[in-house]
Amino acid sequence: MGGMLQIRLSGSGGQGLILAGRILAAALVAAGRRVAQSQSYEPTSRGGLSRADLVVTDAPADFPLVTALDYLVILDERAAHASDDLLAAGSVVLCDTRRVTSRISGPFALHRLPLWETAIGVGSPRVANIVALGALAAIGGIVAPDLLRQKVVGLAPPRFRDLNAEAFDTGYELAAHAPTVARPSQPSAML
Amino acid sequence: MTAHLRNLQGNAACALGAIAAGCRFYAGYPITPSSEIAEWMAAELPRVGGIFVQMEDEIASMAAVIGASLGGMKAMTATSGPGFSLKQENLGYAVMAEVPCVIVDVMRGGPSTGMPTRPSQADVMQARWGTHGDHPSLVLAPHSVAEIYSETIRAFGLAERLRTPVVLLYDETLGHLIETIATEPPPPEALLERKWAEGPRREYRPYAAGEDLVPAMARPGDGHRAHTTGLTHDETGFPTQDPERVARLLDRLLGKLEHHRALIEKVDRVETEDAELLIVAIGIAARAAKAAVGALRRQGVKAGLFRPVTLWPFPEEGFRSAVATAKTVLVPEMNAGQLVLEIERLAPAGVTVHRLGRYDGEPIAPEEIVAAARELVR
Repeated sequence: MGGMLQIRLSGSGGQGLILAGRILAAALVAAGRRVAQSQSYEPTSRGGLSRADLVVTDAPADFPLVTALDYLVILDERAAHASDDLLAAGSVVLCDTRRVTSRISGPFALHRLPLWETAIGVGSPRVANIVALGALAAIGGIVAPDLLRQKVVGLAPPRFRDLNAEAFDTGYELAAHAPTVARPSQPSAML
Repeated sequence: MTAHLRNLQGNAACALGAIAAGCRFYAGYPITPSSEIAEWMAAELPRVGGIFVQMEDEIASMAAVIGASLGGMKAMTATSGPGFSLKQENLGYAVMAEVPCVIVDVMRGGPSTGMPTRPSQADVMQARWGTHGDHPSLVLAPHSVAEIYSETIRAFGLAERLRTPVVLLYDETLGHLIETIATEPPPPEALLERKWAEGPRREYRPYAAGEDLVPAMARPGDGHRAHTTGLTHDETGFPTQDPERVARLLDRLLGKLEHHRALIEKVDRVETEDAELLIVAIGIAARAAKAAVGALRRQGVKAGLFRPVTLWPFPEEGFRSAVATAKTVLVPEMNAGQLVLEIERLAPAGVTVHRLGRYDGEPIAPEEIVAAARELVR
């Protein structure tokens, strides 16, 4: 895979977005790419807006911060409209059905999936971040799913390894079988 | 051999660079957005036999670093704007007593406690003039995580070789940015080291320097006797107010960095060979400027970037050479106008200098620079 990719994982503090960003970044580096990761650096541990941004390139990026998103994950209402200015036709937006209550619309590919409820079903709402990574892997265009799964398992604390693996697999299946999913190669399907 | 690539935070790269350079003493008082440097040093220094001390405040931290360096160790501290202010008196002592050490200032919004978690570049002049009196300043300004690693190593080399404090200056965005880098510790023979006193002890004068203007230091335990003071001193190290000796000391102190400019200066130039619009920037603003130069070139604007990696002493010759073809200079910086003052001082007659500033806690974006540049070349 080549070319620049800009990715944002957003939600509220405590949802493990920065960890998910680090896992995704590790997979991308294992795939031979270069990553610049930045995050909101506010005291958000108790529920403020939180985000992890990735700029993915083949050579070190000129500017390491996101300017226009290719992929946006929204896990909480607090983040619902925080990235509106960074979206365009061609962007892919993955949005939780329960925790995001306001209407998300625009000229981009929108995937509304029950990430939060799936995480609860797997065993803990705390793995909604990993369910989202699984769903992103199924949507495709970022990194090989098996490589990402390997990093999800490898970077998780040992006692959460099985839970994270199951969260990733369930998220992958959820997106792979969802009727709303359109691959980035055919974004017009969702316009 | 392919270097091992890893994702590393800017502040972590600073700590690992320091250890690769041989730093074995850290004293500090944690302050956002520099705290991860202390965190990493606390974890990593004991593994290599080094010493980490969390001091009671920034003033004591700087004093402890000076003491450790006089004791023969490579020593550093890290802080941010408010803490950097507190360190200034002792930083001046290190200049005057010629004590090698590295001070990292990760810039956040100010003045005062300002915005702890927001980036700024408003310490450009504090790094130059923060301590009192006529004094030379050696300040390095990296613009990426990879360069934070390599410039930290260079900071120690320059501090040790030239017997001077060296400030490493970067903004919060870079401190907290994670980038994919290769960390390759340089081989020991590649490091610049301190010049230790040798020869007969009775003839040793601690502040007598040869042609390179750098006096050899007394290594503790070797028996060379040295007196260290912040008072104006002669070659014996004891205080003097004799005008001739005072002038000789200050001439040498100020001349020391000038004499070693070739070793000290480092610049980065992007497409400056035929640039009609020259952008001058440091840190995260320089990353935005790099992207802006690419965009402007694609739009047919002959833009280029001059980046002083060594910020102070300002690389004057490098700038004069880069500005040779320019009609206009644009200085994007995250402050109310500091670096632009130096550019105005150095710009040739007929070249206009413009500033693009913001101090609202947001980094300057490439599109802002493109827009300002297009306005200037209309």
